[in-house]
Amino acid sequence: MTARADIRLRSGNQMVVEGALRAGCRFFSGYPITPASEIYREMTQRLQARGDVAVGAPDEISALCYCIGASQRGVKALTATSGPGWALMIEAFQYALMTETPLVVALVQRLGPSTGGATQSAQGDVLLAECAVSGGYTVPVFAPSTPGECFALTVQAFNWAEALRTPVVLLSDKDVAMTYEAVDLGALPDVPVWTRQSPPFAPVGGPRKVTLTGSAHNKDGWLRKNDPETLDVLRQLEAKVAARAAELALLTEDLDAGAGTVVVSYGVTARAAREAVRAARAAGRRVSFVGLQTLFPVPADALRAAVGGARRVVVAEENLGGLYRRVLAGALPGVELCGVNKLGGMIRPAEILEAL
Amino acid sequence: MSFLAQRPMPYCRGCGHGLVARRLDEALGRLGLDPKRVVLTTDIGCVGLVDPLFPALHTVHTIHGRSTAVAAGAVLADALCAEGGLTNVVMLGDGGATIGLLHLTQAALMNVDLTVLLHNNMLYGMTGGQHSALTPEGFRTSTTLAGNWLPALDLEQVLRGCHGGFYARQLATDRELAGVIAEAIAYPGFALVEILELCTGFGVPLNALDGKALRAAAAAEGRALGVRIRRTDRHPYHALYRERFPVRAEAPPPAPAAPAGPFAHRLARPLGVVVAGSAGERVQTAAAVLAQAAVLSGLHCVQKNDYPVTVGSGFSLSEVKLAPAPILYTGIDAPDAVLLVSADGLREVRGRGDLDRQAPDGVVIVDESLAGELPPGRALAAPLRRALPADAAALGAVALLVARTGLLAREALLAAVDAIGGKDAGALRAAVETGAALGA
Ligand code: SF4
Repeated sequence: MTARADIRLRSGNQMVVEGALRAGCRFFSGYPITPASEIYREMTQRLQARGDVAVGAPDEISALCYCIGASQRGVKALTATSGPGWALMIEAFQYALMTETPLVVALVQRLGPSTGGATQSAQGDVLLAECAVSGGYTVPVFAPSTPGECFALTVQAFNWAEALRTPVVLLSDKDVAMTYEAVDLGALPDVPVWTRQSPPFAPVGGPRKVTLTGSAHNKDGWLRKNDPETLDVLRQLEAKVAARAAELALLTEDLDAGAGTVVVSYGVTARAAREAVRAARAAGRRVSFVGLQTLFPVPADALRAAVGGARRVVVAEENLGGLYRRVLAGALPGVELCGVNKLGGMIRPAEILEAL
Repeated sequence: MSFLAQRPMPYCRGCGHGLVARRLDEALGRLGLDPKRVVLTTDIGCVGLVDPLFPALHTVHTIHGRSTAVAAGAVLADALCAEGGLTNVVMLGDGGATIGLLHLTQAALMNVDLTVLLHNNMLYGMTGGQHSALTPEGFRTSTTLAGNWLPALDLEQVLRGCHGGFYARQLATDRELAGVIAEAIAYPGFALVEILELCTGFGVPLNALDGKALRAAAAAEGRALGVRIRRTDRHPYHALYRERFPVRAEAPPPAPAAPAGPFAHRLARPLGVVVAGSAGERVQTAAAVLAQAAVLSGLHCVQKNDYPVTVGSGFSLSEVKLAPAPILYTGIDAPDAVLLVSADGLREVRGRGDLDRQAPDGVVIVDESLAGELPPGRALAAPLRRALPADAAALGAVALLVARTGLLAREALLAAVDAIGGKDAGALRAAVETGAALGA
C-alpha cells in the first residue's frame, strides 16, 4: 500500500454515516446507546450542517416512529441502536414492515442479555434481528465486517429498503463499529443508489391518497378480516423478498475448490476467520472461507455453491450455541456443521484454527 | 364541503367518537384545506375505526400510543425536506395517551406543528372498559368496579409543564367543539384538544352517566372547559430548526492532510501496541497520533479504545495494530509493546493479562513511578510524567517507543500531530520531541 492522498482513520460507525449520506438519507432520529452513539452524533452534525433533519428522540420507540413518519412522507430515514434499544423498537419495526415503509435500522450489537456490557463485543442479536417480526417474514439483514463494508452495505441496505419497500437491518457489532481503521475515502466502492419511485411509492401528503395501516388489510390498505385478499397481501410481504433472494445474497469468498472444510463467518469474526484460513493454508491445509455480508434472506444457494463438495462447515460467531449455525442447519443438508463460539470477546484466529 | 363518507358510524350508539368525527369534518370544511395535504394519523382503539370515514384524506393508522410520534416524523420531514404545509391531525384515546404519553409531551416540548384530538372517554373501550391514567377518581370501570381510587392525570397541567402552546378541553357535545378544533389545527405548533365523552358500551352502564353528569364530573375534578392555553410566544419546531440549520451544500471535508508522506518505516510484520493510562490524560490522542503516523508511513493500521462507562475517571486504554499488509483480525493477542503511563493503566493492563501474553522480546515502557511494580529488568522506565505534563505522558511514551525501535520516522509522528492536533498541535509536538529525546 502506498500512502494515498485521502487515507483517514475511520470507524465502522463513521462509515455507516458516510454510506447513509451517499444513499440519500435525509432524516435521522436516534437515542443514545453505546456502541451506536457515534452514528447518532455524526448524523446529527452532518445532516444539520446541510439543513436536513436529525432529531434526538426521548426513547428508541419515538426514534423509530419519527423515522417511519418521515419515510411515509417520502424521505429516506435511518436510526441506530443496540440490543436494549432494539428490543423497544420491535413493535414499531413490525409496523414498518406491515405498512411497507422503507427505512434502515443500524443495529450495533453489544454483549447481552439485558444491559449486558455496553462496550463489550458480541454477535448475539442475529436472530433477534431476523425474528423480530411475528409470522415468519424475512427481514433483510446485512452484516459488515470492515469500515469499507459498513459504507457499501449501508448503501445496499437503503437500496433494498426502497426496492422491496421494507425495513432493513444493518447488523454490525461493537468491534466493527468502534474500531478505527485506515480507509481510503477517495476509493470507496461505487455502489449505485436506487431512488424512491412514486408510484409505486406514494408519499402521504402527496397528490395520491394514501391509506396505511398496521392492521391486516386488503390491497387498498383497508382493514379486513377473513378476506382472502388480506392473506394475499400478507403472503406478498414475504414473496417480494423471497423473489429477490439471489440478488440480495452478498458474500465474500476465498475458495479452494478442493477444500474439505469451509469456514463461514460474518461481522468482526469474519476477519479472524479469514486470517485463520490463511494460516491453515500456510500449514498445508485445504480450506475455504466464506464471509457473509448478507445474513438474511439466508444466501442458501450461494452458500451451497461455495461449499461445493466440502464435507465440513465451521461457523464462527460470537454467541452461545451458534445462532447462525442453527439457521444453516436446514440450508446445508449432508454437511457436518461445527461451531466456534465465544462470549465476551472477539474470537481469535487461533481459536478458529483449532477447529480446522 | 364535507369530507365525511356517507356511511354508518362504526361505533356503538351514542358513542362520543362519532360526534368528534363530525366536528372534525366541520372544522376541516371551515379551514378550506386541500384534502391531499391533510393526514389523519390514528391510534389503536375504537377511535382508530375513523379512517374509512374520511376517504379523501390520507389516513395512517398506527400502533398503540405511537400515533403522535409517527405524525411528528411526517410533519418534520414535510416541513424540512419537502414542500411543507402538511396538516396532520392525530386521533387517539385516553388509552393511547397513557401508553404514548412521552410522545405527547415530547411533541409539545418541541412544538411540532400537529393537532392531537384526544378522545377521553375515561377508559379503554375496545378491550372491555378497563381504567386508564385518565380515569377520574371514583369512576367505575371493569377493572375498578368499586370506583377508581386514583385521581386522573391532568393533561392541562402536563401541557403547561411542557410549555405546550395550545390546549383546550371540551365535551364532545359542546357546540363550540368544531370551532375549537379548527383553531387547534390552524395553531402554528402543537395543539392538544382533550374531548370528554362517554363510552356507551362501558362507561355509561357502569356509571349511570349522561352528558350533564359528564359536565358536572369535569367541574368536580376542577377541570374547566374551553381553550385553556393559547400561547403566542412559541415557534413551531420546524421554523426554529430552519433558522438554526439553513439548507446549504455541505462543506466538503477538510482537504486531506498535506501529502507529508510516505515516511520510511521498518515494519516487516504486524505490530501490536497497547497504551494505557488514566482517563483525561489523552491516551487515545497518543494512540491516534501513532495510528496516523503509520498511515503517513504507508502502513495499514487499526485503533481501538477502551474506557470505563464513567468516561472521565479510571483507566483509558488504546490498542494500535500496524502492519505492512492489510489487517484482518483486529485484536492484539500478544502485544509487541505495552506503554504504561499511570497506575490506572497498569491495573487495567494487568486485569487484561497483556503483560502475561507478551512475547519474550516484547517491549514494556513505563513511567518511572511504576518501575517498582514490575520485576526488575522487565520494563524500560522513563521520567515521562516528570518531563511532561500528565496529559502528554502517553504521547511521550509513544515517541519514546518510536525512537527506541526506529519503527517509524519521528517526522511521521510530527506530521501526524499536525494532521490531527488542531489547536493543541504545539503541545503535542513538544511531547513528541521530549519523548524522542528520552528514547535517544
Ligand atoms: S365501546 Fe365505547 S368507545 Fe368503543 S365504540 Fe362503543 S361506546 Fe365507543
